[in-house]
Amino acid sequence: MAEPETDNAEALMSAYLDEELDAEGKSKLEAMLATSPAAQKELSGLQNMLRLVKGLPEEQAPPDFYEKVAKKIRRRRWLRGEYLIALALPFQIINVLVILAVAVVYMMLHLDVDVAGRKLERDPTVQQAKPPATPAP
Amino acid sequence: MSGVTDPERVYSAEELAAAAPPDEPEPAPAPDETLTPEQRAENARRAEQDRRDRQLVRRLKQGDEAAFRELVHTYQNRIFSLMLRMIGNRQEAEDLAQEVFIIVYRAIGNYRGEGRFYTWLYRVASNTCKNRIKYLKGRNFHRSLDIDETPQAQMPAAETGAVITFQSQVPGPEAVTEGMRMEKIVQRELAALDPDHRLLIVLRDVQGMSYQDIIKITGLQEGTLKSRLHRARLALKERLEPFMR
Repeated sequence: MAEPETDNAEALMSAYLDEELDAEGKSKLEAMLATSPAAQKELSGLQNMLRLVKGLPEEQAPPDFYEKVAKKIRRRRWLRGEYLIALALPFQIINVLVILAVAVVYMMLHLDVDVAGRKLERDPTVQQAKPPATPAP
Repeated sequence: MSGVTDPERVYSAEELAAAAPPDEPEPAPAPDETLTPEQRAENARRAEQDRRDRQLVRRLKQGDEAAFRELVHTYQNRIFSLMLRMIGNRQEAEDLAQEVFIIVYRAIGNYRGEGRFYTWLYRVASNTCKNRIKYLKGRNFHRSLDIDETPQAQMPAAETGAVITFQSQVPGPEAVTEGMRMEKIVQRELAALDPDHRLLIVLRDVQGMSYQDIIKITGLQEGTLKSRLHRARLALKERLEPFMR
């Protein structure tokens, strides 16, 4: 197949298969095909092959694909010592948890301060209520 | 992918994530008046998809897991399909497609939003896939394609009357069976091609990508790409000829 192996023949055939050939290119290709049965055979074979390849369907990923990806990310973050919870929970829940954590810390820091900001005294009756020490036998 | 270009070496997922390429600015689209109505509609659809992707990537960079979920759902079928056509084994393809999204999750900082997310994702996917092919080759992996291995199923078209489309024009159980058989044969022969040839055929002829997108993904010059694709098509034609009428 001398003719179709030239760069020009290759470019013409490729452009034709890609439906990118203009009128001038088409006449050149037709002229080439008219004189070369080998080129005709090659083009026909390529067209048949492309029909088969283009008929391959798009495959669907499994329905739990994202869950598997997220699980692998969690596992690797955990193995690398990162926080497991970061991906395990939805963003909104993480926000609520952070707010709750800040609120708890704030309350702990202000447990011994009254509404007016004064430090509360220890209740003296608590000490009095202590049980008396048991006498030695 | 810069930094993972050694053709002999198999890289780890960490190395692939660390070396995920930055995106490059895309050329401006052709002026509207030179386009056909179909091309205009396609450009509008692409622009909308790109805008949506950029928003999702911005949210992902801020730590929004829901954005990552949406990106995965948007592209999971295309990436899984790419991997299946490249590797030829469903389980391996699923594992590899998952790996691609894990790398995207970890390397999203490398994506600057100047180019299309779509082509950046495919660059990550094709590099990950080539890397896995090297690894599997080293381990003498045999593809298990679930192909009908009976001698009759392997006979050329001249003896069995194989059709050249997956399903005959006249629907029926035989046509469906024959279509499935041919699909498996095409998949098997495709997966037997040289990985570079395989990638070009899958991107261009199976997934229907434009040359411009393939240039972005593979980094090839246009002339080299077209010439290599032609050789890939000829190689696949040679392999499929015994099964075509």
